[in-house]
Amino acid sequence: MTAPMISLPAPIFAKISPHPFLVRNLTRSSTAEHPPCRTNGRATQEFRPVRINAASLSHAHGSALVRLGDTTVICGVRGELLPVEHIPQFRPVDKEQLRQKGEDGGDGGDGIGRGELRDYDLLVPNIELATGSAPQFLPGVPPITLAQTLSTRVYSLLHSTGLVEARDLRVWYSPKEQKRGEDTEMGVAGDGREEDMDEDEERLVAYWVLYIDLLFISYDGNPFDAAWAAVVAALRDTGLPLARWDPDREMVVCSKTERRALNVRGLPVACSAAVFMEKEHSESGAGPGDSGHWLLLDPDRLEESLCKEVITMVVDCSDGETRIKSIEKQGGTLLGRELIRGYAGIAERRWKEVRRAME
Amino acid sequence: MTATTLPEAALGVLPRADGSARYSHAGYTVTASVNGPIEAQRRDEHAYEAHIDVIVRPAAGVGGTRERHLESILQSSLAQIILVKNFPRSLIQIVLQVEDSPENDYVNTKLVQASLNFAIMPALMQTAVLALLSAAVPMRATATATAVAIMHQDGAKQTVVDPHPRDIEKAQSVHVLAFTSHDELLLAESEGDFTVKEWDNVYETARGICCRSPPQAKEGMAMLLDDESTGGPDMRQFLRSTMGFKVAADLHWK
Repeated sequence: MTAPMISLPAPIFAKISPHPFLVRNLTRSSTAEHPPCRTNGRATQEFRPVRINAASLSHAHGSALVRLGDTTVICGVRGELLPVEHIPQFRPVDKEQLRQKGEDGGDGGDGIGRGELRDYDLLVPNIELATGSAPQFLPGVPPITLAQTLSTRVYSLLHSTGLVEARDLRVWYSPKEQKRGEDTEMGVAGDGREEDMDEDEERLVAYWVLYIDLLFISYDGNPFDAAWAAVVAALRDTGLPLARWDPDREMVVCSKTERRALNVRGLPVACSAAVFMEKEHSESGAGPGDSGHWLLLDPDRLEESLCKEVITMVVDCSDGETRIKSIEKQGGTLLGRELIRGYAGIAERRWKEVRRAME
Repeated sequence: MTATTLPEAALGVLPRADGSARYSHAGYTVTASVNGPIEAQRRDEHAYEAHIDVIVRPAAGVGGTRERHLESILQSSLAQIILVKNFPRSLIQIVLQVEDSPENDYVNTKLVQASLNFAIMPALMQTAVLALLSAAVPMRATATATAVAIMHQDGAKQTVVDPHPRDIEKAQSVHVLAFTSHDELLLAESEGDFTVKEWDNVYETARGICCRSPPQAKEGMAMLLDDESTGGPDMRQFLRSTMGFKVAADLHWK
């Protein structure tokens, strides 16, 4: 053959034909020191190590910086007070009723707690993909589909996992405690002084609204895993100032020094993967097994651009048992029932890694 | 509560679009129009395949982040079943207008809701597939979708097909699964709190609805028993019969 041999340095090969470049790397003949791997040097089933740095912002109530290889995201949680009189269609909450339902104890999963969070929008996540974090993000454009999709997913998962409990966000006014009057026993006062009950009753005066802002400083694939880890780490770090109602000034005042940590329920961890097909321009799914495919865990930006089918599973093993919180699989037909079942084991492995990083 | 009504559909409801369909089931009514293949804009143009553009319009208000997410899910799923490689540098546009959605009287209805709406996904998917069939866009397979919720009722776990918004609020987990006509899992979205085993059961239920084998294959008695055991609508049969009626009506003049 007289075809001239053109040898290209790896970065140029990757640039001009990314798909064959990745296939070549994955199908490379195995040697002892160089097993076949992805272009980023990882094995197919290997995650990037996650590094979490909590409390890195000084002006937020809670924050976390998460690094996942070259994907870096910073999350800041800021609480703002929302007085109940500013809420349209506010339905008063009765503390006694909550106590009876056991909701005050926290296990109000599908009860009032979650309804309040959703109805009054007490959790406001927002995701920004900074210009320059990756070449495809242009300056001065409205939020792209990816940013909107990510924030919907984070919002949805925040509510469905019940990570934050509504009782942590309620600010009560109890005249008795603040007066420190003659009767310290609330039970005694119950029957005898029915008339005064209106004044003395504890009432809800405000809510904390948590603004959860995420900024991608650097973007190299797998944005959801990084964003979700940042949200969880930041919420675990969040401490809200003690707030009380000042009846004289008729407003809520916050303590300058005292803080109360937020109760974060469980530790859900997201684990994403993409399916890479050997044939670039074949009819995908023309029949199973007609061409090779790989499940690439924790895909980077190059791999993401070459894969169509993606799966994200959110698991929580903090109760000892593996509970799945969410599955999102779309864009292809290769991941069937068996693969998804097996994927739960991979997600479990990831959960352990992330938990170690959190602690 | 399972929606007892059977799905209804009409094809070719919009006279000027290349293809259109109206579909209503479980309280949702969606109208879809499909135009394509048409010339793609420069920025959407792909050298090897057609660009699929999905636009979702909610029943009230303008679309927000939630609609963008629904669009991206539908886009990636439909791009798998449409033969996109046959139409390089062109565009297939699918516009889905939600006409009616069931109300949940227990909560304050907000116009803009950011959280994912699981119950509407099957309706959007079915309408899009029907409209694509009506527009005669070449497809590798058709797709059927269904929503399933797992609920705690009277101390026992119960599987509810096509849950009402009120059910979804109380449900322990909600799942949307879509299958192609080759019985492949095309889309799986789940949310809530569940185990692998529960998901497996949901998969079986959804598969029973989406990929039931045609009844001709079974004998009389077995068929009756089968219908009783699985329950729920048979989506694939519905798709087939809807198309069958449409073709029969179109060829009536012969």
